[in-house]
Amino acid sequence: MPSPCQWVRSVLAAYLDGELKPSTAKAVRRHLEGCESCRAHARLLKESWRLLDEVPPAPARPGFTGRMMARIVEEKDLSVFASRLRPHRLRRQVVASVAGLAAGLVFGFTVYTWTGLPPEPTSPVEREASRNILFLEDADLLDEIAVIEAMDRLMSPDETGDGA
Amino acid sequence: MAKAAVAVARSYEREGRRGAAADYDVGLMLGFQKGNELAFQELVERNHSRVIGLIYRFISDASDAEDLAQEVFLRIYRARKTYKPTAKFSTWMFRITANVSLNALRSRANRRDDVSIDQMSDFGDGPRAMPDPDSRRPDLHLHQSELQEKVREAIQALPEKQQVAVILNKYEGMSYADIARTIGCTTMAVKSLLARARDNLKDRLLLYIHTGRGRQRVS
Repeated sequence: MPSPCQWVRSVLAAYLDGELKPSTAKAVRRHLEGCESCRAHARLLKESWRLLDEVPPAPARPGFTGRMMARIVEEKDLSVFASRLRPHRLRRQVVASVAGLAAGLVFGFTVYTWTGLPPEPTSPVEREASRNILFLEDADLLDEIAVIEAMDRLMSPDETGDGA
Repeated sequence: MAKAAVAVARSYEREGRRGAAADYDVGLMLGFQKGNELAFQELVERNHSRVIGLIYRFISDASDAEDLAQEVFLRIYRARKTYKPTAKFSTWMFRITANVSLNALRSRANRRDDVSIDQMSDFGDGPRAMPDPDSRRPDLHLHQSELQEKVREAIQALPEKQQVAVILNKYEGMSYADIARTIGCTTMAVKSLLARARDNLKDRLLLYIHTGRGRQRVS
C-alpha cells in the first residue's frame, strides 16, 4: 500500500496538467497544502517542465507545400510509368511461354524420331529378336498371364518363337 | 485557385461531419480519397508546420525535419485508398509523424531495426543517453544555446514512449486521451508514462533549474 506522499507523487504530473478527476485533484490539493516535501517536489516538476520551453520551434522555410506537391507529381509519374510497363510484361511472358512450349515439342519430336525407332534388324537372330520385341509391344493388349506365357516361350530353347 | 480550394474544403468539412468526427481535415482527406488533389494540397498547407515542428523536437535538424515531413505526407498520399476516418485526422497524422521520427532517430543511432510506435520500449534509455559531464561543476553558468542542448539531451535520453508522450503533450498540447489514441495505449498508461518521464526530466535537469539568480546550477 503506497504512502500518501508516494500516491500523490505518482499523480502529480497529471494534477499539474489538469488531467485528474475533480475529486482526485481535490485530494491531491489537500495533501499539498499540508506537505512541504510534496510541494517542493511539485515545484521542481513545474520548473523542469518549463525548461522544455527553452528549446525553440523549428525555423520556418516558406514554400513547403509547393515542394511537396512537386514530389507528389514525381511519385505519380513513377507509378504511371510502372503501370504502363505491366501490360507489355504480360504480353512478353505469354509469348515466351508459348515459344518455350513449341520449342519443347519440336525438340521432343526430333529426339523421338531420331532415337525412338529401333534400327532395322540385319541378321536372322536380330530379325527373330525384333519379331519377339514387336510381339511383346503388342502385349499391351494382352492380360498379364498372356504376357508371362509369351515370355516363357521366348526363354525356352526348343521354342520356334512364332510371334505372329 | 485558393477560393476554389476553400470551397472544396468546406464541402468536405460538411462530409466530415457525417463521418467519425466534426473534423475539417477528415473532410479534406475524404475529398482527396475521391480524387480531388486540391484537398490534399490544402491538407499539406494546413498541417505541414505542425508536422515539421514535431519532427524537429525529435531530431533537432531543420533540413532533415523537412525531408522527413515530406515522407510523412507521402505516406498519407499513398494511404488514401485505405484511409478510414475512425479518429481525428491529427491523431493518425501524428502517429505517422512519430513513426517516421523514431525511425530516423534509430537510423542515426545506427540501429537496423525499423521500429513502429507499437514496438517502442518504455524502459531503459533512449538513443542518446549519456551521463551529464557537467554534474561535477556546480559553479558553471550556462549560455542559452548550451541550456537548449542540455534540455534536448534530457528529452532524447528518455525511453521512446516517454519521449513521444512528452513531445506530444508539451509541444503539441495534446491531452492524455489524444496521446493514448496516437500511440495506441490507454489513458492510464499515458498518465503513468508522463509521470515517469517528468520525474526523469526533473532528475536530469535539476542542476539547471532557474533559481531567480540568473541561469546557474542549483547546488
